[in-house]
Amino acid sequence: MGAMRLTGYADAFGVNPGKTIKFYVNCDGPKKYKTEVMKMINGDTNPRGPGLVERLISADCNGEYNGRKQVIHSGSYGYVTDRPQLNLESFTMQCWIWPTTPKTHPKYWRHGAQGLMGKWCNGKGYGLFINENGYIELRVNDKKVATDVQVRDHAWHFIAATYDAETGEAVLYHEPQIVYALDPSIPPVKSKLGVKIQNAAGVPFTVACYTGSLDDGPLAKSSKPAGIVMAGHYNGKIDSPRLCKKALSRQDIETMKLGAQPGLTERRHCGPNGDLAGVIVGSWDFSDGINTLVGRDHGPYVYDLEIVNCPTRAMTGHNFSGHNFDWKHAPKEYGAIHFHDDDVDDARWQVDFEWEVPADQPSACYAVKLTTAEGDEDYIPFWVVPECGKATAKIAFMVPTISYMAYANEHLANNAGGAELLVYRVPIMQDQNMFLSEHREYGGSIYDTHTDGSGICLSSRLRPILSIRPKYDHFLMQAPWQYPADLHLICWLETMGYKYDCITDEDVTYDGLARLEQYNVIITGSHPEHNTGPQLDALHNYTQRGGRLMYMGADAWYWVHSFHPAYDGLGRGIVTEMRRCESGIRTWRADPGEYYHQGTGELGGMWRYRGRYLHSVAGTGMSSEGFDISSYYTRTYESNDTRVSWAFEGIGYDEKLGNFGFVGGGAAGTELDIVDTMLGSPPHTLVVATSAGRHTEAYLLVMEDYGFSQQGIDGTQHPRVRSDIAYHETPNGGACFAFSSIAFCGSLPWNNCDNNISKLVGNVLTRFAKDGPLPPPPKEAFKHRGRADYEPASLKTAE
Amino acid sequence: MIRIPKKGTPERARLIAEHKACIESMKGVPGCTILRCETPGDITKVSGGIHEDILLNRVLLRMRAAMPKNGKRKLVVICTEPDKSWRIGRLSGVRGVPPTFATDKLYDNEQDPQHDIFLMRLDEMEEVDGMPEQFNEGWKRRDDHWTVT
Repeated sequence: MGAMRLTGYADAFGVNPGKTIKFYVNCDGPKKYKTEVMKMINGDTNPRGPGLVERLISADCNGEYNGRKQVIHSGSYGYVTDRPQLNLESFTMQCWIWPTTPKTHPKYWRHGAQGLMGKWCNGKGYGLFINENGYIELRVNDKKVATDVQVRDHAWHFIAATYDAETGEAVLYHEPQIVYALDPSIPPVKSKLGVKIQNAAGVPFTVACYTGSLDDGPLAKSSKPAGIVMAGHYNGKIDSPRLCKKALSRQDIETMKLGAQPGLTERRHCGPNGDLAGVIVGSWDFSDGINTLVGRDHGPYVYDLEIVNCPTRAMTGHNFSGHNFDWKHAPKEYGAIHFHDDDVDDARWQVDFEWEVPADQPSACYAVKLTTAEGDEDYIPFWVVPECGKATAKIAFMVPTISYMAYANEHLANNAGGAELLVYRVPIMQDQNMFLSEHREYGGSIYDTHTDGSGICLSSRLRPILSIRPKYDHFLMQAPWQYPADLHLICWLETMGYKYDCITDEDVTYDGLARLEQYNVIITGSHPEHNTGPQLDALHNYTQRGGRLMYMGADAWYWVHSFHPAYDGLGRGIVTEMRRCESGIRTWRADPGEYYHQGTGELGGMWRYRGRYLHSVAGTGMSSEGFDISSYYTRTYESNDTRVSWAFEGIGYDEKLGNFGFVGGGAAGTELDIVDTMLGSPPHTLVVATSAGRHTEAYLLVMEDYGFSQQGIDGTQHPRVRSDIAYHETPNGGACFAFSSIAFCGSLPWNNCDNNISKLVGNVLTRFAKDGPLPPPPKEAFKHRGRADYEPASLKTAE
Repeated sequence: MIRIPKKGTPERARLIAEHKACIESMKGVPGCTILRCETPGDITKVSGGIHEDILLNRVLLRMRAAMPKNGKRKLVVICTEPDKSWRIGRLSGVRGVPPTFATDKLYDNEQDPQHDIFLMRLDEMEEVDGMPEQFNEGWKRRDDHWTVT
């Protein structure tokens, strides 16, 4: 098993012909590595299939490069570069904290003291910490003063420390917000230190870490600020940090909880009163600028903190009252930032090589293949996307890049022991999973929890994403998932000779309908679960105007995503955000009051609970999931309706559709969608095939479809545990065909694409790709249909 | 709560035989469950296993949910060479500490380790697993970091 000494990423998912894409590589050990641009056709190495299919592309970046190690400095924090006013003789530091890992396992990847705030490095300066024993600790140079009570995790505490240079006395306060009946009291700790603070030049003031070293070595270039490597990353929330240049009394500390008050009517100073206004150095208010990468200082020097690695904001503070759940309506109750030691927004590596994509380079799935003579290998996938308005095909494959980001570097096989109940067997870990289990600095997926156990709701694409790789089997199915699973579809398109463009979720989000209306048909990936609002708008507008949509998977249009606007300057869709709110399939659950996105301020969670039913986009929506094995479809009588019977030309009515495949062994599997006219499926939708009654006990109804925890929701019992292949017309000659199973595309390449699933999809695609509106339905098809009401076949017979 | 069948009992022997038969029939399926494929490697018709042996069904659910005793962590399968080689490992339970190999045995298919883990768990789990005599303080809090619970 390799140690994954080669990893890398690109500065873009999608690149236009004629533009340049940059690549960043970590080559940890080998002196040289080779690059080859490949067109990616198939990424599944299952011996029963076509195997890995890639084609070498002539590219001027192909060649041999010198290897160098590059590292990710993960962990979020805020800093202000060294300023004279931050070099103090006496001080008061204070803040509210809600620590999540005050005491860590000795083998925990970042075991040790955690920095809360201060200007401290290597035994010089001042700082507030949680020490390795879980106690609050003040450091003045190399002198330490600590409480003797472990700070309680997941609870608010007010922390303050003073140091008086004249008396040499330090006082440390640890005041829990909640005191239980049997908690010991925690008196202030006083200690005569009698030292003069050594304010080291160049050391920044930091929040949620401390300065580890000033380092001009190559590995420190990817730290921020470059050359200053932070250490002691804190896990938990910090609210309202304050810094004064005087040792304040407890009474004045209490007043300073108010912070600077620049909004006073008779403004003569920064507040909160005249005396304190004279000693404030910094008074940070994290409720200001929640959608930015800045921690605003309302004090006199305006020493805004630069926030690094995108910690979670719009977090409830110590004063959350529970009356407002939207931070925009009660910002003062959202003064907390939740920092994590594994947050990462940008690996910040040095560029290793670039490729100026030729102007005539066809749109397709590509990857740079990295190899070494010693046998190391990695791939960096990307897509060549035509400029908006310059489509080169009638068919577009909408690459579900947001969903790829949501699953980026997931750790579930490693961390989610309970996932065995989900997959109904013991998970299988791949090389990538093993590497990530050790390298937490590569960050996790939106399915994971941070190393402190809190949910990950942000994902960046500016880092190596080892789950977006060919030859990668996902633990959920022991088979390809997302990127490599979508290559099953690409393999089929290529084998069948269809010409197609690739467009990404970012392109549709930023370009809207203009991006889609160039094409006669849009094909989705196998699992486009995560979507922005503008993307859904574009899809609706597209099908409304006669566009054709082929929904090739399941569990799509499910979660609300938004791109964090603070990263717009670096490109499209750098960081995506999602919150797992009150319902839906959730691997973690957001805390009360933390449902609104920090980036756009919109309500997160399921689109369903924003009033945008998933079934409304392509006709079907998720009903169940199970990850042991897949099953197959049979046709319904509605498949003989002349509105849709053309799709089954060459397919017998009694054929088993898709009782073969590379994901679960069948076309109907993993996550399944059904028609439900009460949840947004148009009432004229035809169910043309279904897998009802064929799923195992591992398949369970989604929780948003029932109100009680109850028996009878598995695939052997519940009628909604099924997949429906469905068709409906949209206005102006448009239509949607929904294949409604994540495993579906895994059947396409079976038997060299000669099978009934391939036939069905080919019939649909060929018809949908033709110019002009689709042939109109027969006149008798136009009639009023209710949503809940319909005319059952049994009644028709009775007549 | 049902008890884990003891060593040497006919129930235990039955469960092991059925589990083994299911695993054998799943070879070739890109996925796995404890059911018998009528045609090995083909999911068109499956039966037996967890759908028909209620004790096997319940024991497997317990095993999947349970944390091993005596400070041990959960077993996993580790693919050591794609499509060629697998081993059984054990999770560390500590973020940033990777799993370690739990046995020396190399497997040439991805299904057989599932059966050996079943056998290991039958040996590791006590008959009264999860019952009041096993109460500990961890029952009062989530003493793990599992994200899917």
